[in-house]
Amino acid sequence: MSLPNFEVIAGSLASGLLLGGSLSLIALGLSISLGVMRLVNLAHGELLVCGAYLSYFLLNYLGIDPILGLPLVGAMVAVIALPFHRLLIAPLAGKGMEAPMMTMFGFSIILQNLMLLSFSADTRTIEASYATQPLAMGPVTVPKIYLIGFFVSVALVWCVHMVVSRTAFGRELRASSGDPGAAATLGVDVRRVHAITFSMGAACAAMGGILIGTAFSFTPSTGATYLLISFAIVVLGGVGNIFGTLVAGIAMGVLQSVGAVILGDGYRDLVGLILFLLALALRPGGIVSGRA
Amino acid sequence: MLHAAYEPTNDPEVIDMIQKNVSRILVPSLLMALAIASQGFSDYALEIGFRLLVMITLAEAWNLLAGYGGLVSLGTASFVGIGAYALTGLVNKAHCPLYLAIPAAGLAASLLALLVSRAVFRLRGLYFTVGTLALAEALRMFMVNYDGFGGASGLFLAEDPPSLYVLFCIALVLMAFTTLVMSIATASRFSILLRSVRDDEDAAAQIGVRAFRIKLIAFVVASFLMGMAGALQGLKVGTVEPYGMFGIQWTVSVLSIVIIGGQGLRWGPIVGALFVIALGELLADYPALHLAITGLILIVVIRFAPKGLVGLASAMSAKKQGAVT
Amino acid sequence: MNFQYKLTKLSTAVCLLAGVVASAHAADEIVIGASIPLSGPLAGFGMYQKWGYETAVKDQNKAGGILVDGKKIPVRLVIRDDKTDPNVTAGNTESLLSRDNAIALLGSCTPALVNAGALVAERRKVPIVAGCDPLGAFRSVRKWNYAWVMFFDEGDLATAPFRMMSDYGISTNKKVAILADNGPDGAVVGGKIWPETAKGGGYTVEQNTSFPTDTQQFTSMVAQAKSTGADVVLVDAIPPQAIAMRKQMASAGFSPKVLVMEKGAEPEFFAQATGKLADGVLVGGYWDPSFPYPGAADLAKRFESDTKQTQSQHIADSHAAAQVLMDAIAAAGTLDREKINAAIAKTNKNYVIGPVKFDATNTSAIPITLMQWQSGKAVVVWPKDRANGKLLFPLPEAK
Repeated sequence: MSLPNFEVIAGSLASGLLLGGSLSLIALGLSISLGVMRLVNLAHGELLVCGAYLSYFLLNYLGIDPILGLPLVGAMVAVIALPFHRLLIAPLAGKGMEAPMMTMFGFSIILQNLMLLSFSADTRTIEASYATQPLAMGPVTVPKIYLIGFFVSVALVWCVHMVVSRTAFGRELRASSGDPGAAATLGVDVRRVHAITFSMGAACAAMGGILIGTAFSFTPSTGATYLLISFAIVVLGGVGNIFGTLVAGIAMGVLQSVGAVILGDGYRDLVGLILFLLALALRPGGIVSGRA
Repeated sequence: MLHAAYEPTNDPEVIDMIQKNVSRILVPSLLMALAIASQGFSDYALEIGFRLLVMITLAEAWNLLAGYGGLVSLGTASFVGIGAYALTGLVNKAHCPLYLAIPAAGLAASLLALLVSRAVFRLRGLYFTVGTLALAEALRMFMVNYDGFGGASGLFLAEDPPSLYVLFCIALVLMAFTTLVMSIATASRFSILLRSVRDDEDAAAQIGVRAFRIKLIAFVVASFLMGMAGALQGLKVGTVEPYGMFGIQWTVSVLSIVIIGGQGLRWGPIVGALFVIALGELLADYPALHLAITGLILIVVIRFAPKGLVGLASAMSAKKQGAVT
Repeated sequence: MNFQYKLTKLSTAVCLLAGVVASAHAADEIVIGASIPLSGPLAGFGMYQKWGYETAVKDQNKAGGILVDGKKIPVRLVIRDDKTDPNVTAGNTESLLSRDNAIALLGSCTPALVNAGALVAERRKVPIVAGCDPLGAFRSVRKWNYAWVMFFDEGDLATAPFRMMSDYGISTNKKVAILADNGPDGAVVGGKIWPETAKGGGYTVEQNTSFPTDTQQFTSMVAQAKSTGADVVLVDAIPPQAIAMRKQMASAGFSPKVLVMEKGAEPEFFAQATGKLADGVLVGGYWDPSFPYPGAADLAKRFESDTKQTQSQHIADSHAAAQVLMDAIAAAGTLDREKINAAIAKTNKNYVIGPVKFDATNTSAIPITLMQWQSGKAVVVWPKDRANGKLLFPLPEAK
């Protein structure tokens, strides 16, 4: 099979790199849940799709632009996620990792089917003028929305990093994830930290979902693919390692594009999964060293 | 005196009595009665019965892995799919008779388990779970893209499958075999070793348990059963393709059944399967609602009845008898 | 008492009881069963099928039902959702026959699902009539005796764009890029017929890419297509992918002169989701209310007033399929499945979809037309004698 010409390859790689930024944002939510709460959030994909639907309806009924409305949707999802944490996860604290994981699994089934019942299986996409415009950067052309998504994602990842490393809450968060028992004796309200972490994770997923919904399309079942890719990125980057997640996400985007160029777009997800399995086999702790 | 023994004990006398009464006399005779009586069953009953038996087989196998072994695998679909495709290939290309083809398909699934075991058992806990999910999805994507096995269109069974009654009986035999295997596995020393690995692998290794070998045996046995169940399903439908046979719906159903029924308990899979399939039939016209309710029940069970319906029932029955638990 | 023993007794009792429960038998009803995709990726098609089947049955019952054995018996339609999963179609078909005692069946949509149901029907010797299944894919499975399909032929569909271009004298650089999914009809249309027809018409195939039906990103293949500079782009993909691909083509700044999107551009939500980007996209169609067939315009009006949604060609093939089946039952005058099957074979009448007559391979071909989205409306642009609008050429550039 002949390789396409330079422009195509360069364009694909550049697009992959930019898309990787958005993938990092999505994976970040999973990473902080896992790192701080040891919660394997199997409903992560559905939270992503919820964010997309929310933005879709805000656009169609209130005319709010998806990118401008991103913080709004993030805040809304964060607020909605809090009571769910209290209801579903908090009661299972201290009962091991399997129970909350399976609870989130059940939650993902419920969410997916509720969305199916409410919104039907029709494919939707968030319309924005910049969502379907190319951007020529010299010899390379990339979709404009990828570039926008990249900057938005990097900005948000940086925000989360700032919260975790500079604020008082961030200190409590780092203490809770290192040793919850010790943190509790020092007066940290571990349950509150977990609740807010969960909300932040959900918000990241939702905001990432808006970027996906604007660049591509979505249905109630779109979440599953992104769940696995997110896991791959989390493992590659190191659980709880914010900078690592960013690097791993971008790397994943690039490597997927390489796979797409050589084997075809259909193999994109497969390449991602194979990388994941390799990462798991070689270094379950992650490839990027250092913790956040 | 037989006590409320739904978990095996070390007492050889009790084990002996249980095995003698239940496994050797009661269950086989009931199954025989069922096989004979089912000749008079309506097609609908045979249809539902078949589905039930296949799900029970899958659930028992998964229970062995996850409930007794602590290996929460989300890769059930891979073994079902391999079994289905292997059977189709054997029947189409080698004209293999069914009594050979079905076990051979099971062996094909075990082969996959063997191949990935070395890599997959290096992972612990959540990494194992997510790793099996990734493997299952990767396999599905590969089958979709690779044309050698029919790609997205899949394969068609060249011969006509046997009648519904015969399929039901084959399923009955498979379930009986599974029950026998599970009885042996759970009432013997193997189950003690397995549970010790589940509860604390490092401690078990320290006292001389060969953890890898134990896990491997459980994995190979479970995948063998799952492969045969998949083969039977492929035989019945007559056409196999990646989305139907390697799809995640298999993993989801089996997991829900075992958790709702009660994982790590002998009767969990059967009760769970009866419950979930009955619910499915009741809500046959509202599939999205059915799945949403299943998810809800899953969450409620995990929260309030972690030992599932069987655990709940036995706790209530013990309370009624005034037994001290 | 031993808990295990109690449970064994209970389970066996439940099993035996369940086994002997017979389903209610209403002897004064003709039950027709249908398993269609009401959820999952093909839910869009399923919705139209449901309306088509239900309306045909409603109309028949308004006339009192079907005359069988000297009595007019009403028809009861039982519809099941197969969630776009062939395993479920097969299971549904079995239970429609065993639990609901359906006399005959109506098919699902797309080859994988129709095949699954038809295989069950064939084994049980139950007549099943279907639309929504391209004939080549249907014929290639096996020699059918009880399954009947009335739809278009892939060959017809695939050659249509080329015939249109030569009919209207469209001038392009004769370079073609093909992007097709690897499902049964995608493989046939994209893998064989399009390349062959292109070569035969003096076109060069610059690219031929195939992809699985759950792909969401098409950046690589779109970029490659753009680099070939092909004026004619032929796509065969289901609606979610067609929508994503159209958007990604615009994002890549790729605007061919002729863009055909088979399957995917058919439903209305394609146009809704892509907005202005839908303008100029061509898709093969086989029915429009303006066609000179009995009841065509009325059917569309009824659908739109019933459901407040825009009509689709799928209401016509499903309505006709149901009518063909019921007419065959009436012609046979009995509920004997063999006689009904024989009556279907003798069908030779004009329905809302056009003339229906089955050949030796149990298929009845519907001629293909080409439709084009223009300002949110599907306009028939070819052949000339069926066209109700003008062809928009070239594809409008996305702003």
